[in-house]
Amino acid sequence: MNATALAVLVYPLLSFLLLGLVWPLRQNGRLAGWISTLAAVASFLGSLRLLWKVLEGEGVGSATIPWLVADGKVIAELGIHVDGISASMLVVVTLVAACVQAYSLGYLADEPKADLGRYFTWHSLFIVAMGGLVLAPNLLQLFLAWELVGLCSYLLIGFYWRKPSAGRAAVKAFWVTKFADMGLLLGLIVLYATTGSFEWSTPVPAAWAVVVPALLFVGVMGKSAQVPLHIWLPDAMEGPTPVSALLHAATMVAAGVFLIVRAYPLFEAAPPLLLAMTWIGAVTALVAAVTAVVQDDIKKVLAYSTCSQLGFMIAALGSGQLMGGYFHLTTHAFFKALLFLGAGAAIHATHSNSIHQMGGLWRSTRFSAVLFIVGAAALAGIPGLAGFFSKDLILEELLHAGQYGPLAMLLLSAGLTAFYMTRVVAIAFFGPASEGAAHAHESPPSMLLPMTVLMVPAVLAGLAGPLFAGLWNQPYHFALTPVGGLATLAALSGIGLGVLRYGTRSWASPLPEGPRRFILSAPIDSFWLAAWQRGLQPVARGIGWVDRYVVDGLMNAVGWLFLLAGEKVRALQTGRAQDYVLGVLMGVLAVVAYGLVGAA
Amino acid sequence: MNLPLLSIIVFAPLVAALVLVFVPSSARSTTRIVAVASAIVSLIGSLIVAVGFQPGGGYQFREKYPIIESIGINLELGVDGWGVSLLLLTSIIMFAGSFATWTLKERDKEFYILLLALVCGVYGVFVSLDLFVFFLFYEIAVLPMYLLIGVWGSTKKVAEAGPFRFLFRILDIGGKEYAAMKLTLMLLAGSAFILAGILAMYDAAGLRSFSIEALEAASYPRGMQMWAFPALWLGFGTLAGVFPFHTWSPDGHASAPTAVSMLHAGVLMKLGAFGVMRVGMVMLPEGAQAWAVVVGIVAVINVVWGAMAAMRQTDLKYIIAYSSVSHMGVVMLGAATLTIEGWNGAIYQMFAHGLMTALFFALVGLIYERAHDREIGNMGGFAKAMPAIAVFFTIAGLSSLGMPGLAGFVAELMVFLGAWKGPMAWWALAGIFGAWVTAVYVLRASRAIFWGQGPPERYTDLSDPKGPEWVALVVLTACLILFGLVPGLILVDIDQTTTQYLQLALDAARSGGAR
Repeated sequence: MNATALAVLVYPLLSFLLLGLVWPLRQNGRLAGWISTLAAVASFLGSLRLLWKVLEGEGVGSATIPWLVADGKVIAELGIHVDGISASMLVVVTLVAACVQAYSLGYLADEPKADLGRYFTWHSLFIVAMGGLVLAPNLLQLFLAWELVGLCSYLLIGFYWRKPSAGRAAVKAFWVTKFADMGLLLGLIVLYATTGSFEWSTPVPAAWAVVVPALLFVGVMGKSAQVPLHIWLPDAMEGPTPVSALLHAATMVAAGVFLIVRAYPLFEAAPPLLLAMTWIGAVTALVAAVTAVVQDDIKKVLAYSTCSQLGFMIAALGSGQLMGGYFHLTTHAFFKALLFLGAGAAIHATHSNSIHQMGGLWRSTRFSAVLFIVGAAALAGIPGLAGFFSKDLILEELLHAGQYGPLAMLLLSAGLTAFYMTRVVAIAFFGPASEGAAHAHESPPSMLLPMTVLMVPAVLAGLAGPLFAGLWNQPYHFALTPVGGLATLAALSGIGLGVLRYGTRSWASPLPEGPRRFILSAPIDSFWLAAWQRGLQPVARGIGWVDRYVVDGLMNAVGWLFLLAGEKVRALQTGRAQDYVLGVLMGVLAVVAYGLVGAA
Repeated sequence: MNLPLLSIIVFAPLVAALVLVFVPSSARSTTRIVAVASAIVSLIGSLIVAVGFQPGGGYQFREKYPIIESIGINLELGVDGWGVSLLLLTSIIMFAGSFATWTLKERDKEFYILLLALVCGVYGVFVSLDLFVFFLFYEIAVLPMYLLIGVWGSTKKVAEAGPFRFLFRILDIGGKEYAAMKLTLMLLAGSAFILAGILAMYDAAGLRSFSIEALEAASYPRGMQMWAFPALWLGFGTLAGVFPFHTWSPDGHASAPTAVSMLHAGVLMKLGAFGVMRVGMVMLPEGAQAWAVVVGIVAVINVVWGAMAAMRQTDLKYIIAYSSVSHMGVVMLGAATLTIEGWNGAIYQMFAHGLMTALFFALVGLIYERAHDREIGNMGGFAKAMPAIAVFFTIAGLSSLGMPGLAGFVAELMVFLGAWKGPMAWWALAGIFGAWVTAVYVLRASRAIFWGQGPPERYTDLSDPKGPEWVALVVLTACLILFGLVPGLILVDIDQTTTQYLQLALDAARSGGAR
């Protein structure tokens, strides 16, 4: 076993067990928070060490233990698989997790102690589950961990469990992702049935070569919020903002992208699926970007932006190149987490999610505003910052693959991204002074410090391109090609448009009223809601009714018939001794007759 | 040292029941101590059997005592890999169950006597190597239920709605006496089919022996298998909640007192599924193969139908009862696949569902005791007053919807793996859909009860478990997690037995019954 890799999981696991089992510790919310945060930091240091070792070529490989048996043979194993991909992903996950937990200590300081203790317990569990996902040696373990991070998501979205909307959002997130996971599970089953294992490296017979990865991709669409299964992600913003930063922006939602990277040998064998992925990713990127433009809730803007960026990643993977998608996953994790934490700081200061309630925040919370703006610039694709490099790589890959349609959609999305981020920054920080911002105070150091830490990779991660290229032994040297120029142009014009429209402190609507209304009415949500209310629920009601009144009614009817029959047969019981003696005599005669016939 | 371990396990509850007869009814704590002591004896015995079970399959820990030798009836005991895990399950649930009714006040001595007799029957079924004795134990397990529900059942009547209201009133449908009567009559009707099947086997084998091993080795004409297998399937299947003979379950489980629901849904329903597999499928392989498609399709109906019906229930006990119907469908689905994965999964699902549903019914009992209400629509915000119960309920729910790390997932995964390889691949899809619907109704119930503002003011005595009540919850939850993380603990034993039986059955079916 690779002790370094194991250590990354062991710290948060110990923290989870400690907080989960030692009740008084959990009840003391702050202490629980410190334990969990320290475990996350230790886990981060461990994964740095692991990455260092892997870069030096040490400790690469997997170690497994048997888990399930059938027919005397091991059919499923659990374990860890260490290579450049898992080591680098672990660094991303644990760094963001550690920052988010430290931030939570300040952000949630006023919450009830018991709730806080539970919060950090789930956070420790999340690192274990996410680590198990990243280190998975086969698709089965990836699926196990996949479900567990989904569970953490459900529990953490429901942190404000007294609020009905939080409860609704939590179950919605679980139901929708679990709905998509039916595809993933079925994909696993078919994979097992056709190859006899859960490995991603065993080729699937040609007849099933498209079906298996397509089923897996259905699960990916749920977890990584691709249209039309993205509907849970905006609602998930009901959870505390740090949770949105960690699970619903940086790591958990990227698990789908990670799955494709991992199981790429399976996807590669299905060209039609890859084409579909490119289009689905591009559509998601564009639809979500357009939707983000009209949102007034700062977290909703960021949520749709996350959908949109995940669309970029999926489209890139569909183009047949892994590097761009995976690179963007990591850079996005940093700057989107930073953005969410910055949004959290603004929410913390103004007690509102609406960007219009934040107007003029620049004057009171200058430091966190700068951090947010850096994150926004990285997302928008300002040259030199992290998002620019990875987004550029994706566009290059699409061009290379000759996918001009999706390429154009992504370029448009990139421009929209710059526009909606400019809109948020302009209204929230420089907009008309608002009630909320008037009394705002800068966040405590416990929140600012983690944000500052995250800012470093949000700015610099773009320079890690060669490292990522090394994962696939590809050459990488950055050059500003025409596509890169177009992307930069899109970003700059998006920003320019935003400044033009909102720089004059106007309250202008971003879109004409008609389209704005249509987008805000959430047509895709309505479709699923109708399927739920007019499809599944009436069927369930019908089945319940039939079961109660028809199926059970038949059973009761049979019982009733016996009762009736009893009434009739009762007439035989006359109560006269002569009748009974006659009966006995007939019986004896019958037996004798049977004996005689049998003997003859 | 050669202790007759199986006899000790089986008859410890019976001895305890006899002892209780001579304990005065006023000695409440003595009653409980005797019951728990016998549960501990059986539990330790089952653990020793589980640990001492040797790899290599076959029957182990064998004992044999003659009863009526002239027609070949012996008290012959022995345990295989399936039996090991189900013995363990029964012991765990009985142990937890005897704590779960700690607060019972009325006629508690008689209650425990009947409960112990029932458990003796359950143990007996899992270790009998004589078909006659098997049936005898089966009846011992089924019959006490009539009194346990009829006397100690929940007095809450189900409010009837719908077009047949008046009929329900006339027939007194919905009361505990009705539920007890319906359950007993339906199960006894099933028993008649079982008896017919068993006697047909005895007759067709012509060995003048009820020994299961002897009957297993015998061959049966195809024509007889074709009718005897469905007789056994429907007979045992009634207890396993096979559609459409599952309707005793919602009423029965809703009316039964806590420990009885725990044992009934947790263990007794497994007797039915165990019977179908052990007697029906292993011993009548040709019939099983011919009927597998029907058994599987009915099982799929069970899974989806039960889950959908659970979705619309508003009474907490009905939700859990319908979920049992759905989950027992998963067991039958695994059995119908006639694959190693499917059979391993079926037995594992019996184990996992037993633990999970026992935990559910224990929790429902606690909630009902405190809230005096079972309508989830009335509840809300209970997590504030009973945080531990909320946690346990969530864990039970997660196991039922197939969350990895809990026992239910291991079972469902294996059943679905088998289903794809079985006679009809789409069964797997239906099973997976059922698991999703489970997520819908379980989380819906959990949210309605525990989340949100509240609790409403009329609920004044909500509280977390007290004293002995913790034991049941902690033991069952710990087992759910343990067997979810380390399935190998029992799966290896199950697998050996499965491999052996399935090989036998398939060989026999292939060679046209002539062994």
